[in-house]
Amino acid sequence: MSYAVRSDALAKARGAVPYGTDIESPGMLWGALVLAPITHGTIRSIDLTAARAIPGVTAIGPEDLPRLLPGVPTDPERPIFPSKTIQYHAQPIAAVAAPTFGAARRAAQAVKVETREHPAVESIDEAATGPEPEVIGHVHARYGDLDGVFRTADFVLTETYRTNAVSQVALEPHAAIAEIRDDGTWFVRTSTQSPFGVREDLAAMLGIPEPQIVVEGTWVGGGFGGKGSSLVEPYALLLARASGRPVRLALTYREEFLLGRSTLPSLIRLSSAVRGGTIVGRRVLWKVDAGSSLPGRDFATGYGIGFTVGPYRVPAIELEGIALRTHKPPLGPHRAPLAPQCAFAAESHMDHLAQRLGVDSVEFRRRHVWLSGDATHLGQTVGPFGLSECLAEAGARARKWRERLPENHGIGVGAGFWSTGTGAGGEARLFLQPERLRIVQGEPEIGSGSVIRGLAAVVEVVLGIPRERIEVDYRDTATAPFDSGVWGSRTLGALGQAVEKAARELRAELAKRTDAPEGAIRLTVQGPELAVEVDGVSRPVREILRRDEIENGGLTTYGTHYGAAGSFDALRVLDGTFYPYTDFTGAAHVAEVALDPELGTVHVVRYAAFHDAGRVVDFETAKAQVEGGIVMGLGTALTEEGLWSPEGVLQNPGLVDYRIPTLAEVPPIEVHFVEGFLGAGPFGAKGLGEPPIIPVPATIANAVRDACGEGPTELPMTGERLARHLKLLRT
Amino acid sequence: MTTAPFFTVNGTSVDLSPVPGSERLLDTLRWRLGLKGTKEGCRTGDCGACTVLVDRASVLSCLTLAHEVAGSEVTTIEGLAAEDVGARIVQSFADEGASQCGYCTPGFVMALASLLHERGAAGDLAEFEEDLQGNLCRCTGYVSIRRASQRAREAVR
Ligand code: FES
Ligand code: FES
Repeated sequence: MSYAVRSDALAKARGAVPYGTDIESPGMLWGALVLAPITHGTIRSIDLTAARAIPGVTAIGPEDLPRLLPGVPTDPERPIFPSKTIQYHAQPIAAVAAPTFGAARRAAQAVKVETREHPAVESIDEAATGPEPEVIGHVHARYGDLDGVFRTADFVLTETYRTNAVSQVALEPHAAIAEIRDDGTWFVRTSTQSPFGVREDLAAMLGIPEPQIVVEGTWVGGGFGGKGSSLVEPYALLLARASGRPVRLALTYREEFLLGRSTLPSLIRLSSAVRGGTIVGRRVLWKVDAGSSLPGRDFATGYGIGFTVGPYRVPAIELEGIALRTHKPPLGPHRAPLAPQCAFAAESHMDHLAQRLGVDSVEFRRRHVWLSGDATHLGQTVGPFGLSECLAEAGARARKWRERLPENHGIGVGAGFWSTGTGAGGEARLFLQPERLRIVQGEPEIGSGSVIRGLAAVVEVVLGIPRERIEVDYRDTATAPFDSGVWGSRTLGALGQAVEKAARELRAELAKRTDAPEGAIRLTVQGPELAVEVDGVSRPVREILRRDEIENGGLTTYGTHYGAAGSFDALRVLDGTFYPYTDFTGAAHVAEVALDPELGTVHVVRYAAFHDAGRVVDFETAKAQVEGGIVMGLGTALTEEGLWSPEGVLQNPGLVDYRIPTLAEVPPIEVHFVEGFLGAGPFGAKGLGEPPIIPVPATIANAVRDACGEGPTELPMTGERLARHLKLLRT
Repeated sequence: MTTAPFFTVNGTSVDLSPVPGSERLLDTLRWRLGLKGTKEGCRTGDCGACTVLVDRASVLSCLTLAHEVAGSEVTTIEGLAAEDVGARIVQSFADEGASQCGYCTPGFVMALASLLHERGAAGDLAEFEEDLQGNLCRCTGYVSIRRASQRAREAVR
């Protein structure tokens, strides 16, 4: 029996799907980047002569930009190459293209760079030597009688957590192939999460009007946030312009680590006032290493800081977030940016508080957890929200596992919430043809299945059409309807709504043409063709369509979705930009771990996840998202960490020293959905790409606390670090 | 050691004489022969995406020079998927939804084919999984890959 859920399943297993790295073009050159040899300093000269002397090589540096750029960049803060100052180690400072890959690498090495080095800011740690980091972002909010509650508290618990730099590690490196077409179009095919976003970036960076740029997304070998904005595309295009040939530019895997916009370290100080067994006030100070992000570009702090309070009612809060500029690569979005890190701190803190009070940590959470209609820390109303139910289930599972718990094992529960990006816009067009229904849209499938399966499932529900007759057709930015891209778990929730509207309109039109009530319309298969079935009576779609419709691709409808953002109480904000949530989704996880008390190593024995994802539109795809997110979270929790030297050089840019989970260490995982809390997406669906990773580090940390009585305060929880931590605590 | 200037890929003979001595088998397959089903990930031997079979044993093509396989029989995913056993493994992966982005999948299918060839479908499951550790997947969390491997073992039994 074959029951492949996804239409891309067989082609992918056969290796028949072309990714960004697979695309080639006749006569193309191979590109390579020249990376800064120092971390911070002034460029004295870049000499491209030796590179250019290699036959067939095109080389470009900062000085060539005025000649190559067609217009004036409208974003001078994001230069293609630094004209003077190098901001981080391995920052691209020049680029080359050559007839072979090998020649391109040799040419890149032949570029001579002279610099004058300045001291680098490497760490946000107060103990670090070297220059002080500059504050580039500051958010501050306050609410309630904070001083009062802290003064009259039964006790105050204050602690500091440190979190890790984690890389996306999509298996496919960034890859693009660019050419300048005869009509002056700047055309790039690229492995991206957001073709329209890349087009916008390119327009600003190159100074070209958007209509003159065409971005075509390829199949994507994993994104996780790392392929959300332009990275290799501008260089590929400029090399194509300079050489007059198509240019392929792919990052090496080492470059993936060096340039990939990843999560950077942070320091979270939490202080809670407790009275009568409940939290009455919380102060948070969060310092985020923003790397060489530009001032004002730090979205992370204003968005992420809410996760340090968690999905809990706290009557008085003070939140202060500080983004600090260091000479690391710029901070970038990594699956639920910084939320797993914040949840690690907040949820460890919850367990610690419960431990101090001598109460069950799940019950303690449920005493505080948001219910639908509650207000967030900034006074935004919480929409339908099923976390309390998820916690109840998780608590029951934890009790069951506890019945037979071996020595040195522990059970932990962790929770998390997320808001999916349903506010961001998307549009879609449907074509009903005699044999099939096509969804034409502008989002590449990056792996989750939210495009290829999620969008199809929406149409399936509205029109009753069997899935094998639905085709999801991706188009480039010149021919597809607009879409914001794959981020914020928004595909099903936002673009799905555009598809739902188009499907409903199609159903209304079919109802009109067949003189039937809308609710009675179903599309069924009749031999090779489709038929409209109403109360058991079928009419071929071919007969319902007009001749001109059949000739022009089918009966077509259009749907758009531009969602409203939520709003909060602006009076609580003292400084900086905070961001409202759009949709509330939550999860509670349970883990059993075995802790080696000597070596400090953690072995995850079993894992269970309970998610409120609103209406689950396709169970298999949803479950797969949760499994993948959990295992990625195990990496964040246990092994993954970018490590920089005091000189600001990444020490582990490869898969041997930056360890992601492998098959043998994955525990049995159960996935459950708590339904009944409807979100903003189609039929009440909520986004699910990011939420599964959020509770994982916290859940593991709490299981470690349960096993040994002490909670870890630093990510990742490597054996060495835990052994040190436990020994320190014992002495 | 033979120095035959040929090897075969999926049954077709390939002349090695125009291939430079430093060229990796991965690049020969992908860029000379257009066999892009073999994926390029890390190029350092750490992810398994580039796995192919050389005389039926799994080999990382990014760490192998094209000239090293002179005289050998190379099978890529394109060839394997056309064989009976290969098609069953491929179908198991599709049926179990074991691909998300799918970039790791051909490598897993190849690694599994070589394991099944080497020790048959019966061997110990834990050992089997131990041997798949060289293949990384960032999307699935391996849960579905585990199921697919089990299904494939049953399918070829
Ligand atoms: S590409 Fe060969 S092991 Fe990663
Ligand atoms: S499915 Fe994406 S890496 Fe395995």
